Amino acid sequence: MAAPSKATVVLKAVKKIAIKFSPFESNVRSTREFLAMVGSEKARSTNMNCEVVTTVKHDKSEPVVDITYLDGDRLVMKGAKLTSREMLSAFQSRCTSKDPQAKTAAKK
Amino acid sequence: MAATLCVKLLPKQGWLPLTQSVRHGSKAVTRHRKPMHILKQKLMAVTRYIPPPRVGPPGAFPSQNKRVQEDHPLMKILKKDLNKVFEDHKMIAVVQNNGSNAEDMMILRNRLYKHGITVKFFPNQVMRSFLKDSVYCNMSPLIIGPTVLFVSKEPKAKEMLKTLRASPQMTLLGACVDDTLLSAQGVLSFSKLPSVTVVQGELVSGLTMLTSTTASMLQRHPAHLSALLQQYVKQQSSDSKEEAT
Repeated sequence: MAAPSKATVVLKAVKKIAIKFSPFESNVRSTREFLAMVGSEKARSTNMNCEVVTTVKHDKSEPVVDITYLDGDRLVMKGAKLTSREMLSAFQSRCTSKDPQAKTAAKK
Repeated sequence: MAATLCVKLLPKQGWLPLTQSVRHGSKAVTRHRKPMHILKQKLMAVTRYIPPPRVGPPGAFPSQNKRVQEDHPLMKILKKDLNKVFEDHKMIAVVQNNGSNAEDMMILRNRLYKHGITVKFFPNQVMRSFLKDSVYCNMSPLIIGPTVLFVSKEPKAKEMLKTLRASPQMTLLGACVDDTLLSAQGVLSFSKLPSVTVVQGELVSGLTMLTSTTASMLQRHPAHLSALLQQYVKQQSSDSKEEAT
């Protein structure tokens, strides 16, 4: 799949990301790609306190991405019918809205 | 109108004619739709394209000749390597690593090599085409994204799990141990199993329990044995008497 609009994922406002999937299912491709993008070195270096927890299950359940933000909000994405690009754009839009001041100051 | 030069008005050669008619009003390229000449209309009607009748919508039946691309030589070499890997090694685990840097990889490789586990990288396309042709076709959904193979000749699941717990980026997806496909929980329970010799010992002791008690009884003092047998006979006779009455 093509890379999203911004190459790096900024995790400044995120406390924890929990990803659960069952690898033998056929609908986990987007979740795994999302995990690869979020768990990469660049993304993790933006926020060292953020934990990325992966659980591998075998119960034919749907792949779920559960993100907890610093201000207590939770974003739950069910990745069975989503593409990784959609998930990433949704996640990034919420991240930027949560943490606009630091970002805009850095950009200026 | 065709251009006509009146021959009669040219008595001598080289003289320009008195009247010259100019062609007008019959352009080929017009701004409006020019009505077709009847002959051209007839020709178009006769030579109209009639497509062959379709049995169903275009996507209903798959194309008959599937184009099979031949593997290029590098792929053939990698496939041979993979084949050897699968034959030699008993345990093959598939792990996804999202973003471990070079020194983490080096430390991980070092730790695993002490237990005899090697880390191998293969391109996903090669893996998938190899698995499709081989017996292990059910492993192909595991091979998506950045995957690494941990292969070892002896199935050492416990040590591998301990080392993987140390690095947070590596996620164990599944393993193929002794030609059996295991999930992550399967590998966990496999690591908790006692070794083969212990299990065999337990089985043997369970089967020979009865015979061992008889053997120990026979080995004791014969007087003890005869007393026991007499007691047994008495009990049997008393039981039968009770049944009779």
